[in-house]
Amino acid sequence: MELIQLAVPVLLKGLWMTLSLTAISVTIGFNLGLGLAIMRGSDKAWVSGFARYYSIAFRGTPLLVQIFLIYYGLGQIRFVHDVPALWWVVSEGSRCAVLALALNTAAYTSEILRGGLVAVPAGLTEAAKACGMSRAMRFRRIEFPLAIRQALPAYGNELVLMVKGTSLASTITVLEITGYAKRLMSQTFAIFEVFAIAGVLYLALNLVLIGVIRLVERRLMRHTGPAPQTRPVAIPQAS
Amino acid sequence: MKLKVLSLIALLAGAASGAQAEGQLKIGTEGAYPPWSMADANGAVTGFDADVGNMLCTKLAMECVFVVQAFDGLIPALQAKQFDIIISGMSITADRKKEINFSIGYAELANKVVVAKDSDLAGITEIPALLAALDGHSVGVQAGTTHAHFMEKLAPTATLKSYATLDEMQIDLANGRVDAGFADVSALQSFLDKPEGANFQFVDVNIISTFDATLGEGVGVGIRQDDTDLKAKIDTALCELIADGSMKASSEKWFNMDISRPCQ
Amino acid sequence: MEFGLLQVWEGGWIGAILRGAAVTIGVGVASMIFGLIIGTICGLIKWRAVFGLSHLVDLYTSVIRGVPELLIIYLLFFGSVEFVTKIATVFGFAELANAGYAFFITVAAISAISGAYSTEVIRGALAAIPKGHIEAAVALGLPSRRIFARIIAPQMLRIAFPGINNVWQTTIKDTALVSVVGLQELMRTAFIGAGSTHNPLIFYTIAALVYLMITLISQVGFNKVEAVLSPRKGA
Repeated sequence: MELIQLAVPVLLKGLWMTLSLTAISVTIGFNLGLGLAIMRGSDKAWVSGFARYYSIAFRGTPLLVQIFLIYYGLGQIRFVHDVPALWWVVSEGSRCAVLALALNTAAYTSEILRGGLVAVPAGLTEAAKACGMSRAMRFRRIEFPLAIRQALPAYGNELVLMVKGTSLASTITVLEITGYAKRLMSQTFAIFEVFAIAGVLYLALNLVLIGVIRLVERRLMRHTGPAPQTRPVAIPQAS
Repeated sequence: MKLKVLSLIALLAGAASGAQAEGQLKIGTEGAYPPWSMADANGAVTGFDADVGNMLCTKLAMECVFVVQAFDGLIPALQAKQFDIIISGMSITADRKKEINFSIGYAELANKVVVAKDSDLAGITEIPALLAALDGHSVGVQAGTTHAHFMEKLAPTATLKSYATLDEMQIDLANGRVDAGFADVSALQSFLDKPEGANFQFVDVNIISTFDATLGEGVGVGIRQDDTDLKAKIDTALCELIADGSMKASSEKWFNMDISRPCQ
Repeated sequence: MEFGLLQVWEGGWIGAILRGAAVTIGVGVASMIFGLIIGTICGLIKWRAVFGLSHLVDLYTSVIRGVPELLIIYLLFFGSVEFVTKIATVFGFAELANAGYAFFITVAAISAISGAYSTEVIRGALAAIPKGHIEAAVALGLPSRRIFARIIAPQMLRIAFPGINNVWQTTIKDTALVSVVGLQELMRTAFIGAGSTHNPLIFYTIAALVYLMITLISQVGFNKVEAVLSPRKGA
C-alpha cells in the first residue's frame, strides 16, 4: 500500500512523456506513411521502389535497433554535430525516440494505407475522373476517405503498438513510464509491484485508445448499419 | 515430436548458458566498467573484479564462471539464482542490504564529477557548492548505482540521466548530450585518458562514502540472504587475501593505488 | 568507417555476432513453437466459447497486447523466480531451468507474447472455416477428434498461415528486447561491442543488417510454403 502511494505519482509523471512521445511520433509518422503509400502507387520505378525498400528495412528490423542506431549511431557522426538542425534532433533522447518511432510507424502505416488504397473500387475513381475531378481532388474526396475506412481497424492496432513502443525510449535515458519504473525498481527492489502498476497504466491507456478508435470507426461506418453477429460453432465432445 | 522439441531446447539452453557442473561458482558482473570489470567479444572477463573472483575461487577450490549482466539487473538476477554471487564493484548500502547479504567490505574508492574544461562547474572546490551548482544541469550516472542514488537524494534539481553502462554515459559526455558525469575516480580517469575525453577534467572535489550514507560502506561481494555458509567462507577468504597483500597487489595493478580496506 | 570494420574483425566480434544471431534464431524458433501451441489451445477455447476459460483467454490476450513487451520481460525475468522454478519442476525440467535460466525465462516471455498474437490469428482462422463443412462432418457421424484432424486443422493452418507469418516476424524482432536482461543474443552482442569499442554506429548497423537478413530469408521460406498450401494454385 505504501508502495502504491510512492510509485503511482512517480509513474504518472512518466505518463505525460509517454503520451507526448506517442502523439508527436504518430502525427509525423502518419503523414510520412501516407506519403510513402502514395509513392508506392507511382509509375516511376525509383519512387515506388524507394517506398518499398524503406518499408522492408524498417519493418524487417527491431525498433530497439533503430532507436540505438539513431541515438548512439548518428551521435557518432561528425557531420550531424555540425548541422544545428540535425544536432537539435539527435542531442536529446526524447527527440531521438520520436524520430525512431515516427520513421518506424511510417513504414507500417504505409502498408496499412496502401492496403486501403488498393481496395478502393476502380469504378469509383473512374467515375470521379469522368466527372472532371483533378487528381488531387479525387484523392482527397474519393480515394483517401474510402481507404481510411478500410484501414482503420488495422491502424488502431498500430496505434496500440506505438504506445507500447514508447517504452523503448527508456533505454536512451528518456524518463517515461518505463524509465521511471526502472528507477523505482533500483530504489525499492519491489520489482513485481512496480512493473505491475506500470503495466496497469499502459493497459488503461490502450483501453481508452481502443475505445476512441471504436467510436471513430462507428462514426465512419454509420452508413453500413450494425455489423452482423458471429456465433461460436458447436462441435460435440469426444465420448 | 515432443521429445525432439525438448531436446532441441535443452541443446539451445546448453549453448546459451553452458551446462552446470559441481564445484562451480557463478559470478555476476557487469563487464563494462573498466578497470573493475571488462568483458571481451568472447565473454571473457578481466579487471579488478575478475581478479577478486579468481582469487576467491582459488581459495574456495571452485571453478569461476562469470555471467555478464547490466548493473541495475545484478541484484534481481542474483535473487533469480542466475548466479551465486555478485562481484561488480558493488558498494554495500543499507537499501541493498534489505535485498541481499554482503561480504565484508574489501575495497573503497573515492568518487568524482567530470565536466568539460569550459564548463562553469569546472572551478568548484567544495561538495555543497558543487551540488548547488548542478541545479539545471544534466548529470549522467549509471542506473542503479550508489552514484545515481546519491544524485537523486542530494541534487534533486539536476536533470539525472541514467545509463545502462558507463560506456554509454561516456559516449554522451563526449557528444555533449550531458553536462557532467558522476562515477568513481578510476572509471572516470579511464575516460579522461581516452582521446574523446581530452576536453574534459575532474571537478576538484573528492566525494567519499563518509559524506553521505547513500554511498555505502565500501565494495563487497553480493550474496543471497539464505547463503550464510557461503558468506562465512567468502569472508574468511577475503580476509586472507587482504592479510597476505594479494588484494593490495591486484588493486595496484588495476588502479595504480591501493584501494583495499582492512579486514573487519 | 574502414577502421571501424577492421576493429570489428580483429576484436573477434564477427564470431560473437554470429553466435548471437544463432541464439536469436534459437529463441525465436522455440518461442514460436510454444507460442503456436498456446495459440492453438487458446484459439480453440475462444472459438468454442468455453464458459469461463474463454474469459481467462480474453484477459491473457488483452493484457499481453496492451502492455509493452519490455515490461513483460522485466516482470517475468526478475519477478518470477520461484514461480518459474515450480513450473519447470512440474514439467520435469528443473535441471534445465537451473542450467539455462536466462534462456528459459526468455523463451517463456517471448512465447507468452507470441502466444497471445497467435491466439487471435488461430481464432480468426477457425471462424473463417465454413460452418457447413463441420456440420456435414458431424452429420456423417465422424468422431470429433477426426473432425479436428481432417476438417478443422488443415483448413485452419491454411487460412492462418499469412497471420502466422506476421507473428513470426514480430516474434523474431521481439527477441531483441531480451538483450536488456542479459541473454547474449544478437542485440546484446552488438550492445557490448558498441560499448567496449565506442563505435555504436558500426555495431548497430551490423545488427540491423543481420536482423534484416533473418526476416527476409524467413519471409522467402514462408512465401514458398504459402504457395504450396494455397488450394487455388494453378487453377
